[in-house]
Amino acid sequence: MIYLLVLVAFLALISLILYNSLIRKKNDVENAFASVDVMLKKRYDLIPALVDAVKGYMNYEKDLLKEITELRARALSDNLTGEERVKIENKIRKNLADILVAVENYPDLKANQNFLKLQGAINETEEQLAASRRAFNAAVTVFNNAVEVFPSNVMASLMKYERKTLFDIPESEKVKPDISPLSLKRLIE
Amino acid sequence: MSRNKDFREFYESSLKPDLEIIDRERRKVNTRIITIIAFTAVAISLEIILIPSEAEMLKGIIPFLTGFAGLVVTGVASKDYRKEYKNKIIARISGFLDEKLIYTPGGSVSFQDFLKSAIFSLRCDQFKGEDHFRGKIGKTDIEFSEVSAKHKNTSHNGSNQKDEYITIFKGLFIIADFNKHFKTHTLVLPDTAEKLFGKFGQTLQSVGTGKKKLVRLENPEFEKEFCVYGEDQVESRYILTPSLMERILAYRKKWDSRISLSFCDSKVYIAINMNKNLFETRLFKPLADYDFIEENLRFLILITEIVEDLNLNTRIWTKD
Repeated sequence: MIYLLVLVAFLALISLILYNSLIRKKNDVENAFASVDVMLKKRYDLIPALVDAVKGYMNYEKDLLKEITELRARALSDNLTGEERVKIENKIRKNLADILVAVENYPDLKANQNFLKLQGAINETEEQLAASRRAFNAAVTVFNNAVEVFPSNVMASLMKYERKTLFDIPESEKVKPDISPLSLKRLIE
Repeated sequence: MSRNKDFREFYESSLKPDLEIIDRERRKVNTRIITIIAFTAVAISLEIILIPSEAEMLKGIIPFLTGFAGLVVTGVASKDYRKEYKNKIIARISGFLDEKLIYTPGGSVSFQDFLKSAIFSLRCDQFKGEDHFRGKIGKTDIEFSEVSAKHKNTSHNGSNQKDEYITIFKGLFIIADFNKHFKTHTLVLPDTAEKLFGKFGQTLQSVGTGKKKLVRLENPEFEKEFCVYGEDQVESRYILTPSLMERILAYRKKWDSRISLSFCDSKVYIAINMNKNLFETRLFKPLADYDFIEENLRFLILITEIVEDLNLNTRIWTKD
């Protein structure tokens, strides 16, 4: 009888630990997603300012500017599925990058202090967005592992937790930098 | 490489004449030191023979004191030409590399900065530094020096108290301005646990240190070499972009040594473990030797290249 009680108590304790750890992991994912969301809002705030700053100068990129304004409006509308939203975000990122490249053709714009500040802010937001996306992916990986690995998967299926999807990391963020080859070994030889 | 050719010219025209003067001094010191060593050796032998074996205490102490006095005199005798070498030669090599690089032979990065980096968790009780350089490379403020930091461990054996100094860090300590603003603290430490214990090591790391929590990054090679702790998961990743991780890996390979980094107050603190004492003279070989002198320049290039290697001059964000 006493053995049975000990076993039940042990199982209850294990379940409690698994349950709490899964809840914590789910909350981490939600938290990480919230920080992606904050960065996306920051990006939306910057787009109108960017369009305003460049439209006076850019004659050949009117379509690009119109498209990004429309994309922003669509991204802000509520009735979007997760998938659609990711697609729109990807387009916005590409569009922003294209605009910043096009700026190279307008020396006056490049010399404009206000624009330079705005460009710095955009670069920063994009970098922070990339960071929060990576933080989200890390939290999702930990969560997914817990959902699939024994014994936490048993608890996860009881709690109806399922695998979550990762953000795609754009190729441009995976580029390996070039670093000069001088090494200490060569120095000492 | 034109810098090599330029340096050869600079060496021949500017450094060599001074080196030859310093070399004359070195030879004098050399003879003096050999005399002191010989004298000390004779003194010690005489003391061992002459002091009666009953006076055991004296037998131990007097030769020891003589030896110590010999060492002090040797040190004092070599001090002048070492000072001369550092002030005249190393300072000019530093100026050759970059005019804005200011060299202070006796200076050091500050103890406060060393503590602020929080790279080493053991309490530091003895802090020494020398060969301090400070300057601006492109847009990046940088300073570095050699540092030796020790921790005092006191053990009690009955009524006896014994102090022992444990080296926390010996090597180069670099402080550079980072190209982005950030508010929290991120530590990048060499990953000893994961190398030793694999997956179990990862579990050990996840304990974290104080406010800082383990940050798992997506670059497997980086994760194998380093262990990252941060106060803010997103900000740690904002600093450690995929490109910066590759750059840190490459920089570590260049040095082939233990490297720890700390990102704090919009600066990066880098500690490179090293046994070699840089920018020093030598006693028994001539100083007017091109390869010996050029090595100093190469070390300075390797250190200051951190700015290029970590891309610190790129200021496309809001920090100018």
